[in-house]
Amino acid sequence: MSVLVIAEHNNLSLNAVTGSVIRAAGLIDPEIHVLVAGTGCEAVAAAAGQYQGVTKVLLADNPVYEHQLPETLTGLLLSISDDYAAILAAATTSGKNLLPRIAALLDVGQISDIVGVHSANTFVRPIYAGNALATVESSDSIKIITVRTSAFDEAGKGEGSVLIEPLDQVITQDKSQFFSENLSTSERPELAGAAIVVSGGRGLGSAENFQLLEKLADKLGAAVGASRAAVDAGYVGNDLQVGQTGKIVAPDLYIAVGISGAIQHLAGMKDSKVIVAINNDADAPIFQVADYGLVADLFQVLPELEALL
Amino acid sequence: MALGADRSIWIEQSGPVEPLAIAKLLQAVVEKEAPDLVILGKQSIDGDNNQVGQMLAALCDMPQGTFAFKLMIEDGRAIVSREVDGGEQVVSLALPAVVTTDLRLNEPRYAKLPDIMKAKKKPVEHMTPEALGVVVKSSLKTLSVSEPAGRSAGVLVSSAQELVEKLRNEAKVLP
Repeated sequence: MSVLVIAEHNNLSLNAVTGSVIRAAGLIDPEIHVLVAGTGCEAVAAAAGQYQGVTKVLLADNPVYEHQLPETLTGLLLSISDDYAAILAAATTSGKNLLPRIAALLDVGQISDIVGVHSANTFVRPIYAGNALATVESSDSIKIITVRTSAFDEAGKGEGSVLIEPLDQVITQDKSQFFSENLSTSERPELAGAAIVVSGGRGLGSAENFQLLEKLADKLGAAVGASRAAVDAGYVGNDLQVGQTGKIVAPDLYIAVGISGAIQHLAGMKDSKVIVAINNDADAPIFQVADYGLVADLFQVLPELEALL
Repeated sequence: MALGADRSIWIEQSGPVEPLAIAKLLQAVVEKEAPDLVILGKQSIDGDNNQVGQMLAALCDMPQGTFAFKLMIEDGRAIVSREVDGGEQVVSLALPAVVTTDLRLNEPRYAKLPDIMKAKKKPVEHMTPEALGVVVKSSLKTLSVSEPAGRSAGVLVSSAQELVEKLRNEAKVLP
């Protein structure tokens, strides 16, 4: 029985995390369908069809799906869920917002944030802020799953073009209405899939000082992240927060600047390939997980690093 | 109740209870209480599931405003500002609605001693799944729990220069 992946996108382009969900889906069943629901999103559907393992793309292109409200999408998913052994989405705010609604109405549980697939019904997921990994077995007839995309490489490119099947169902509801959004626009790579992340903590001291970090990030072509302390202090926007309740990242290189290394922050970055810590407190817990640590004044080190790169 | 609640309902259930079962128990309470607004935390720190609020909303056929960092009630609708991956989103929800809270919604109160004393006199209604007409089922079995691969401390370097040199030549992670 095939599996369904719900594409993560903004109507204009497909988010690469979808490729990681497709990789995870392929470990459950080799036949993968992708649902693209949105407005003016044909390009997204075409991109979804490029991945290895995808045999069909379902395209629900209608103004009602523009903001992908979960109350609307639930109706759409319920109309097609019968055919699938599993429905997967990235553990992004969209995926997390939508999937439990579908699970509840299908009267099944949900397996959140999987980092491993052992079989079509056995998965590994982090608990206690990633301090433990639970291997769980689901007896549900359909598995509803969100995927921690930092744990799965993007699926490879497939062979050729794939059938794009339009879905005619137009689901309307008026209990929830989109009002407005304020999304950060940045030339920098997105935190979720960036190869290098330069992240700042309370040690930066001010929003202005964060610019030092941003200059270093730009030299490296890196994404910028932050600890909760820095975000709560208003140095940067909330969408840059890395941690248990923020974004989970696993880049090739994570440079933690002025970050003490609280457990909740580590939860968001401890699977990075290489961790660098720069902090003037030699006792900061971050040094326990850093591959390379530099006990020094970050205000001195940041310009030095920028000059060397 | 020491933090300000007027009364509480204790649903006693021994043994593990999964998010869907919790949502069904809460649904039974919601149907009894008929509130205009149901507020929950977005995720618990043990299971980290982030499911109950959304499941409850679906079961009760209510709209949801998850990861809320600001909440206003205007003209019979809940205006919920939400934390989303790219920034912020605001949705307008017909009441009754379900809201799940992000840490940034507000600064929780401290329980002051006089309030703790007063709380002991506030009513606690004791319920069971049976009394609520809910059968608690489970569909997820934990086969094992393990510690993730540990990360040991690496090396300390003494300068920015040494750091760059190691990242470039040893770790090979610089572009």
